[in-house]
Amino acid sequence: MALGYSPPMFGTAAASALETLTPLVGWPLMLLAAWLAGEAVYKHWQVPRVCAYGVVGLVLGGAGLSQGFAPREALGFMANVALSLTLFELGYRVNPRWFRHNPWVLAAGIAQSLLTFGAVFWVAGQFGVKLDHRLVLAALCVATSPAAVMRVTHELHSAGQVTERLFHLCALNCLIAVLLLKLVVGYWHLETSGDLGKAAFNSIYVIGLSLVVGGVFGIVAPILNKLATSSQATTVTFAITVLLLSGVAQALSLSPLLAALAFGAVARERRILLSHAQRNFGALGDVLAVFLFVFVGSLLSWSGLLPNLLLGAAVLIARSASHTVVNLGLARISGTTFRKGALTGLALMPMSAFALLLLEESRSYGFDLARESLPVIVGLLVLLEVLGPLATQRSLMLAHEAHPEEGR
Amino acid sequence: MPLQPFGKSLALTLGVELELQLVNTVDYNLTSSSNDLLELLSRKPFPGTVTPEMTQSMIEIATGIHAEHAPLLAQLREMRKTLITACDRLNIDLAGGGTHPFQRWSEQRVFNKPRYQEISQLYGYLAKQFTVFGQHVHIGCASGDDALFLLHSLSRYVPHFIALSASSPFFQGVDTMFDSARLNSVFAFPLSGRAPFTLSWDDFAHGYFTKMEATGVVKSMKDFYWDIRPKPEYGTIELRVCDTPLTVERAAALACYLQAICRRLLERVEHAPEEDDYLVYTFNRFQACRFGLDGTMVDPRTRESRTIREDILATLRAVEAHGAVLQCLPALEEIERCAARDGNHASHLRRIFDETRNVQSMVQESTRALRVGPRR
Repeated sequence: MALGYSPPMFGTAAASALETLTPLVGWPLMLLAAWLAGEAVYKHWQVPRVCAYGVVGLVLGGAGLSQGFAPREALGFMANVALSLTLFELGYRVNPRWFRHNPWVLAAGIAQSLLTFGAVFWVAGQFGVKLDHRLVLAALCVATSPAAVMRVTHELHSAGQVTERLFHLCALNCLIAVLLLKLVVGYWHLETSGDLGKAAFNSIYVIGLSLVVGGVFGIVAPILNKLATSSQATTVTFAITVLLLSGVAQALSLSPLLAALAFGAVARERRILLSHAQRNFGALGDVLAVFLFVFVGSLLSWSGLLPNLLLGAAVLIARSASHTVVNLGLARISGTTFRKGALTGLALMPMSAFALLLLEESRSYGFDLARESLPVIVGLLVLLEVLGPLATQRSLMLAHEAHPEEGR
Repeated sequence: MPLQPFGKSLALTLGVELELQLVNTVDYNLTSSSNDLLELLSRKPFPGTVTPEMTQSMIEIATGIHAEHAPLLAQLREMRKTLITACDRLNIDLAGGGTHPFQRWSEQRVFNKPRYQEISQLYGYLAKQFTVFGQHVHIGCASGDDALFLLHSLSRYVPHFIALSASSPFFQGVDTMFDSARLNSVFAFPLSGRAPFTLSWDDFAHGYFTKMEATGVVKSMKDFYWDIRPKPEYGTIELRVCDTPLTVERAAALACYLQAICRRLLERVEHAPEEDDYLVYTFNRFQACRFGLDGTMVDPRTRESRTIREDILATLRAVEAHGAVLQCLPALEEIERCAARDGNHASHLRRIFDETRNVQSMVQESTRALRVGPRR
């Protein structure tokens, strides 16, 4: 069982010593280890820090260090807040007018989402995965992890067409992934309960209201922010409103992730040019990113991993191939080079944090299929913990969009 | 290599070069995107010339050679339209202005071109502080001697062009109190300032330049960052003190104001230039940078002082007849509006800042002004 509490793999003596220590020391130690590992891999090999966070979460979480500290719900909520901050930032970064000036970018986003869905659905079929699970897997694979994308671009100070497209396509992918998953959930409700009302309610209500609530926050927060006296204060205003939004969304059984994205997008449109919050919420964003990636890593367990590794690899290839084919094909017509188109496709690889939290979100709202589908996807997520951010980073470097002074 | 002979060009023809800012559409910071923009522009013929500049957040456009205001302005507008269409497709924005008000120079990416890499190596942080945006105006000269005559005669008018074009009140996030903070960055370079005084091209080329070259300090005219410098390969002199204004209309007007002044100077009705004209040069220039049109300038001959604004309005009256012959009266009207009524673009940007208390809003206004003209 992938999401379950797997037993510690240490000997019994060590385990009992750990039992007394872990409740209080486990998590902070994991975060510290992850942070140090992140600095080390970045310094020595220029590997994105988030890769290390994920791996530390995976290894130490697998060793049982993450257990017993706090209820899963509390950690899940915190992870949601961490991801919501990133989604807010991403929403703020997206310029809807660009889609009007250059509809080919929008077309690329829609085309690659649909192609990814189809390709992953087909590949999973070849591995004999059940229809229900294939649908969930395919919908999740449409998403690109905003957390990894934002952290890596931030780390590199990257700017240029690959970066720009990465942000916009990532937002589109997340939005479409949520839509598709809600459709799958609706379909599942219809299949299991035959209740069309509940099915429709779950899809339309959740999506629509999440966007509305996020939008309302986008209007109110800039007004609140007028009290802020510095850009640091602005950062705090927005961090707290994102926290509040996550709570409100969860209380109303909405999607905190979608709401945060809408919040960012509306805040951008409504801004009467408020001074911008610190990029990625400064040090607060750094701490929460460590937590988020460690948490996501720790959710993945080793059991059930090996048999699904091959499926994961196949899905990974199908997914990245879909991204690359579409972005390569539409590169020239959308105003960039074939090279940058292909690199955009590759850069869209990360997906772990968003997909997993989306799945968790569905699970907590009574979508039992989410629990069953996890083993199918765990192989892919483990692979992507490292490969995803690395692919994004190397693509940006190859596109010469990374800032040369960083890391000196 | 000795300086090449002074090239042939038609007297009083003109050409304009503008350095423009590439900014993102999120927080209006500079964005290193010239590679992407130039690639997209290369697919279709460009109505002029567009080239990369020192950093990737800057591009330079240049017009062809013109004799009159209307076709010059038409070409500038055509280039603007092509650029803005391309920028819209790439989700970047374009702005005038002599400095970016809040960019941090340490974040700029130097364009991958050997000469720029070399400059960056040599000047270190100065090269990146040089992320400033100027307008250069070329005026065709019949001979090298004419070029030097104009160059030195124009020294008296340099404050006009600084004050009229000034559009760089903020730098690195703070109000510099200068109207043109950009020129302070330029003055930091060792070979900036004024050209040595000589009115003979032979003396200049075989005397001064040959001696300078022998010292190993310079290799070509490009190594001089003078306020006005001769450009022998084009047969022109190049006025380099202007900030890039917020609009192409102002840019064309500045060029034609210069053209009209040159036409009057070539009639040689004023006293011939002399070394002593430069006694007040740096004082006047500082006044223009610091106070813009309200600055004081001292006439080196009469020793009278008056505001730069007054001096411009007086000059406008003196060159009006020349403007009529050159068909650039609309340009002179724009200059008069600027001097007498609207003020320069630095004061416009300061007004925007006073309204919003926000540095980003100045860049937002710059991008808007380039598209449709400044907000009234």
